[in-house]
Amino acid sequence: MLTLLGLAGLIFLFYLSFFWVSTEIRQGIAQRIFYVHVPAAWTAFLAFGISALCSGVYLWLRDDRLDRAAMAAAEGGLVFATIMLTTGPLWGKIAWGTYWTWEPRLTLTLLLWFIYLGYFMVRSSTEDPEKGKRFAAVVAIVGALDIPFIHLSVIWFRSLHPEPVVVKPEGPSLPGDMLTTLFTGLAVFTVLFLGLFLFRYALEGLRAEADLRARRSAA
Amino acid sequence: MSLYLRQIGAIVRKDLLLELRSRERMTSMAAFAVLAGVLFSFSIDTATVRPQDVAAGLVWMTLVFGGLLGVGRTFHLEAQDGAFQGVLTSPAPKDAVFLAKTFANFVMLYLVSLLVLAVFALFFGLDVGQNLRWVVFVLGLGSLGFVALGTLFAAVATGTSMGETLLPVLVFPLLVPMVVYGVGSTDRLIAGRPLAEVEGNIRMLGAFALAAVAAGAALFRFVVED
Repeated sequence: MLTLLGLAGLIFLFYLSFFWVSTEIRQGIAQRIFYVHVPAAWTAFLAFGISALCSGVYLWLRDDRLDRAAMAAAEGGLVFATIMLTTGPLWGKIAWGTYWTWEPRLTLTLLLWFIYLGYFMVRSSTEDPEKGKRFAAVVAIVGALDIPFIHLSVIWFRSLHPEPVVVKPEGPSLPGDMLTTLFTGLAVFTVLFLGLFLFRYALEGLRAEADLRARRSAA
Repeated sequence: MSLYLRQIGAIVRKDLLLELRSRERMTSMAAFAVLAGVLFSFSIDTATVRPQDVAAGLVWMTLVFGGLLGVGRTFHLEAQDGAFQGVLTSPAPKDAVFLAKTFANFVMLYLVSLLVLAVFALFFGLDVGQNLRWVVFVLGLGSLGFVALGTLFAAVATGTSMGETLLPVLVFPLLVPMVVYGVGSTDRLIAGRPLAEVEGNIRMLGAFALAAVAAGAALFRFVVED
């Protein structure tokens, strides 16, 4: 249900960002990618946050539902991080004149993407699923703990990314219609992610149940 | 508490003794370090790049790759003949096992890192001179952070069907802060810059190493439980 709402919202967001919102004066039409890039970024970080949190609680309570939630969120996070990592360079090429730069937030996202690649590789390469769940949870937790270090170190390294334009003490500096489109984007991507997340979570639940039944009938 | 330390000491002693007799991991790491130094020397065109300028980065890369070679095999021998089950069923708590394994690895990697420094100093004509003490200290912090993460994830990788090939995928993204701060400080120290310039880097490197050891000690029990 939420997934459908999210998909419908996506069409609305595309309408807004292509036809409705006014064009930014210095960067021109390319700036419209902003309304996909920033919501995707926000969603990816939200998803990885949920995943790390669920992983931590899973190791504590050992409830399989938490592991399924962590995995479903990690999958969503990987998808949205991929969107962010593909729209970013496209925009970067036009705005900064280069596809890639070792800029803090870019680097952080790339590394997160790889940490969660490891998360799925660990899961899929263990024969005992229980072991895979624990290993994956450890990867997610260590990854989350490492984020502050990565963040500080890559900032120290260099920065080119634009400063925040919405969340800052003086209040947002974006014009009204851009702000509306951005917030529509944030809402749409969040809803879409939650829809996919719940869908995936339910699917894994069904799979676990089917496994259990198959094992019971075999026994 | 003294029991805890004795348990750690017993495992450290066992691991180092094992290494002293087999010389398996140290030999491969040391040979790797020297040969990497040789290859790196030939990979630099001295007409365009001064070797001293890139030496710090290469020292750390050799440390990371060579370390992976040895640390990745931390549990290999024991897993092969099932001896690790014995270690785990011993009364020593799991975090003591982790700290012991990490410390034994640290001793080995630290020796290798000093060798790496000597090899690069020789091949690249580095003059570490006045800051030698601090470079050695920085390499120690780096080795500690590296072996803490490496030991934890070596246990993970050993438990998967992919084995050690999985280790770089798991560890490299996490090592970025260590490389940034480690190379940043080593580079300037080798160039003879004052210590005050890199003090912040060294602090962060230390914080990273401590956090890695603490996280490993806390999470190791989940990796090895059955």
